[in-house]
Amino acid sequence: MIIPFIKGLATTLRHVFTKPITLQYPEEKRQVAPRWRGHPELTVNEDGRRRCVACTLCMVVCPSNAIKGIVAAEGAEHEKYPVAFQIDLTRCIFCGLCQEACPKAAIKLNNLYELAQYDKNLLYLDIDRATQKKSELRMADWL
Amino acid sequence: MVNLTIDGRAIQAPKGKTVLEVADANGIFIPRLCYHPALKPIGACRICVVEVKPGPPRPLPACATVVNEGMEVTTNSPRVQAIRDELMKLVLINHALECPICDKGGECELQDLTHALAVDKVDLEAVKLAPNHDYESLFVERHPDRCVTCGRCIHVCRDHVGAMAINFMQRGYFTELGSGVLPLDCEFCGSCIDICPVGALINKLWKYRARAWEVVKIESVCPFCGGGCVYELHTKDDRILRVRNEKSILLCSKGRFGFPVVEAPDRLKTPLIKDNGNFREASWDEALDLVAAKFQEIAASDAGAKAIYGIGSARATNEANYLFQKFFRQGLGTNQLDNPGRYTYVRALKGLAAVFGSPDVSGVEASTALPQPYQSPLTPGAEAKGSGFPFVLGKFNDLPKADLALVLGADVTPEMPPLGWKLLRALDNENFRLVLANPRHTKFDRYASLSLRYKPGTERILLSGIFKAFFTANADYIPSISAKGLEEFKESFKKVTLKDVASKTGVDEALIKETAALLAQAQAPAIICGTELLAQDKGEQNALALADLFLLIGKPGTPGSAVYPVAEKNNSRGVCEVGVLPDRLPGFVAVPEDAAGLTIADVLDKLEAGDPAAPQAVYMLGGDLLRGLPHRSLTEKLLKKVPFLVVQDAFLTDTAKLAQVVLPVAVHAEQEGSFISSDGTLGVLPAVLPANGVRPDWQIIGQLGEKMGYKLGASHPKQVFRELAQNMPLWAGLGPKASGPLMAGEVSGTFVPFEADLSLPGRRPHTLIIGKVLNHNGSYTTHAPDGTLKLVPRAELSLNPEDAKSLGLAAGDTAKVVSSQGEISVPVVLSPEMPPGVVFLPEHFAEPPVHLLTLNSNLVRVTIQKG
Ligand code: SF4
Ligand code: SF4
Ligand code: SF4
Ligand code: SF4
Ligand code: FES
Repeated sequence: MIIPFIKGLATTLRHVFTKPITLQYPEEKRQVAPRWRGHPELTVNEDGRRRCVACTLCMVVCPSNAIKGIVAAEGAEHEKYPVAFQIDLTRCIFCGLCQEACPKAAIKLNNLYELAQYDKNLLYLDIDRATQKKSELRMADWL
Repeated sequence: MVNLTIDGRAIQAPKGKTVLEVADANGIFIPRLCYHPALKPIGACRICVVEVKPGPPRPLPACATVVNEGMEVTTNSPRVQAIRDELMKLVLINHALECPICDKGGECELQDLTHALAVDKVDLEAVKLAPNHDYESLFVERHPDRCVTCGRCIHVCRDHVGAMAINFMQRGYFTELGSGVLPLDCEFCGSCIDICPVGALINKLWKYRARAWEVVKIESVCPFCGGGCVYELHTKDDRILRVRNEKSILLCSKGRFGFPVVEAPDRLKTPLIKDNGNFREASWDEALDLVAAKFQEIAASDAGAKAIYGIGSARATNEANYLFQKFFRQGLGTNQLDNPGRYTYVRALKGLAAVFGSPDVSGVEASTALPQPYQSPLTPGAEAKGSGFPFVLGKFNDLPKADLALVLGADVTPEMPPLGWKLLRALDNENFRLVLANPRHTKFDRYASLSLRYKPGTERILLSGIFKAFFTANADYIPSISAKGLEEFKESFKKVTLKDVASKTGVDEALIKETAALLAQAQAPAIICGTELLAQDKGEQNALALADLFLLIGKPGTPGSAVYPVAEKNNSRGVCEVGVLPDRLPGFVAVPEDAAGLTIADVLDKLEAGDPAAPQAVYMLGGDLLRGLPHRSLTEKLLKKVPFLVVQDAFLTDTAKLAQVVLPVAVHAEQEGSFISSDGTLGVLPAVLPANGVRPDWQIIGQLGEKMGYKLGASHPKQVFRELAQNMPLWAGLGPKASGPLMAGEVSGTFVPFEADLSLPGRRPHTLIIGKVLNHNGSYTTHAPDGTLKLVPRAELSLNPEDAKSLGLAAGDTAKVVSSQGEISVPVVLSPEMPPGVVFLPEHFAEPPVHLLTLNSNLVRVTIQKG
């Protein structure tokens, strides 16, 4: 009669001392796999400039029309670069096709997954908010 | 017809076609790179190779091989596929491959071909060549590292534009497109850009502004010269980004690079009313109410409705001009209206009408077809025929069939580029003869069999010499047109001696005789005349003399044999055809003589004389009269005398500044309607852009009419067109892109003697010609800082280098040009094209106002001093 009781307690105790498989979210955050598809953002060079050349291929390929309003300009060296670029996270389906289409590795899905917002407007990224900060390079292997 | 097989398929094809054309027509795809349907085969790339039996053992280029009876063509044998693969690798060996930023990406024939031939890698290597980009030239940017050396650009520039500005430098792998000078110095028509299969030539206005697949393409018609080029507007987000002519590629610099005028910073946006000498912005209702009240007041006064005068516009659509004349004729009940073509194109029509008579059309029926937009509801029946001067006016497409063209007083390309393009096609025919008569050396002198360099203003003396020589050599010549009055006409040259003509005109006697001989031989002669000749004080006499000449030698039944007077603006011909004339109703129907109104010239005379019959109010449909009419200071003084001037214009022109009310109008891409080009082709204009507060002409006229209680029936341009075409048998059968008149012409005429005098009085040493330059049309194009104004930003006095030397002037100096009427200062440019003693100024610019110098003509004697 007592034996099953001890057995049960032992199981409980064993779990008390093993590492839990859940996380204390939100205090603790899960590390995602390197290939995790977060939301798209514009990558930068070592010197902090955007790599995008405003070819609009990502916009063309995006199946849910999440990328829009790419406006190109001509730089001093006749290079082409974007002066406007919108990523609409309310539409993004995290398929990663933009990343695949981009000939310049200029758009990548990052490893962020906390996208919920109280204010929807925060999900419309303009060119600056869509650009990754150099200090926040999330994945070194992108560069 | 010949019978052949392509890839085993039996095919019948017309004789003379190439294998590539026949394959295309039968849906068989042969890869190609240098071939373009608008050009003759070039045969440079050899991608189109096919095997042909019977034939040589090596493959042949399909684009340059003509089909033969019994030919067996194989388009995809392993051998030709291997050749194509190898060729593609050679093409791609050092290609820039920057499709993401290349403006051609998405419409690049090399991209398409690489896909079609599934070229996935290039396992060849060669030394890298320097890219040698040309970023400096205006409008055209060159990327030699993307060039596939197809040669299309060179061919279009040489054979179709006639500019010969570019050619290949080096040979073999090192071949590179060059222009000799940098930056490029050419006509800047941009045709090379649009014919380039790749992104080696880029349109700078379009560069980086959109990707090829993002634009909406809408067919429209060019709003500048009377050439009526049909092209596609490429728009994105309600802005025009570029203009292309997909079919023939050809457009001139105005058409291709002039569109930024729509976004010109000085466009008017709201109506303006003048209060105490200053303009203030007003609402549409206020402005229209004011105009309506003022017009009604004048109409009710003693002066009556006759005191309101209308000036139509060669820029406005047929529909607007039709409503305009309806406003006067039906609303006010007068014929007091005219159009500024009075000083140019109308003179040509009057000269031709004097000889060939007014149009008369019979056998026109109501069309039974379902009504289509901008399609005349009338149709020429089987028996339809017409007579009168419209039937001697030529169509551009027929010009290449002429065997002789006499060009008098026209620098063809600046006046009307399509005429130049067609002349080049005519020159393909080795029997074609070009006789060029112009005081200046012009582009077409290079192609001319005879160049008659006469002294400015002596056109009619020269023509009298030609007639004299003609009648002397061909005493019994019988014109092929039934003509009256030949004997009397011959008589009128009795006193003319060639020696005298030669000394007055400066043209050799022998040349005059030779010209007469060529004219007598011609089987399909065409006569081209321009505004240089029509804008003279006796322009109408000039036109008359040419009409007589055509009556003598013309063969109107033969395609190509016609008269081609240059209608300088997009709708110069249309505004006349729809009846904005004091003595003609729509379709050139004559107004009874006692009911005819005043011409602009009469009105100015009356104003000058202080005649009580001078108008109390003038309603202008646009156009800068001050800039366009001779004797500017007088015109200005007289227009200031008009108590109430209403101007409808897109810009606050010098003329508009004199107005009491200015109504801002929509320009071409913002409004719907139609134009009639110089050759009678109906061009249809769709509304592509929103009008942002300004209104189309037809709407303004309609609303003004409404306020005055007239029922003009202006609900939509389509409906206005229907009504107008319903009243014009001359337009029977006319529809978009059709060239009228469409019925058979029965031309007959009467010789009318002309005055063979010199129309250039005065004693000053130089003769100034005021004319057109290639990159502008009227004043319209000078409002767009991003458009062709970049190419020709200001007026410059063209002067013979010898003259300049004797005057102590160098290029870039400022010269003071003085005439009896006034004086202006203008920078000098040396041009060997000018004969000694003759100088040239363009008419387009606000500064300096060149017509301060003139009296009643585009020619004036001047003294030139160091400024
Ligand atoms: S595909 Fe890449 S380079 Fe092109 S616009 Fe998108 S992010 Fe920029
Ligand atoms: S020319 Fe064509 S293939 Fe070459 S870079 Fe441009 S788009 Fe790409
Ligand atoms: S520039 Fe363009 S059209 Fe001219 S040769 Fe090169 S590829 Fe052909
Ligand atoms: S300005 Fe004349 S020639 Fe030039 S594109 Fe327009 S219609 Fe054609
Ligand atoms: S397409 Fe025939 S040789 Fe180039």
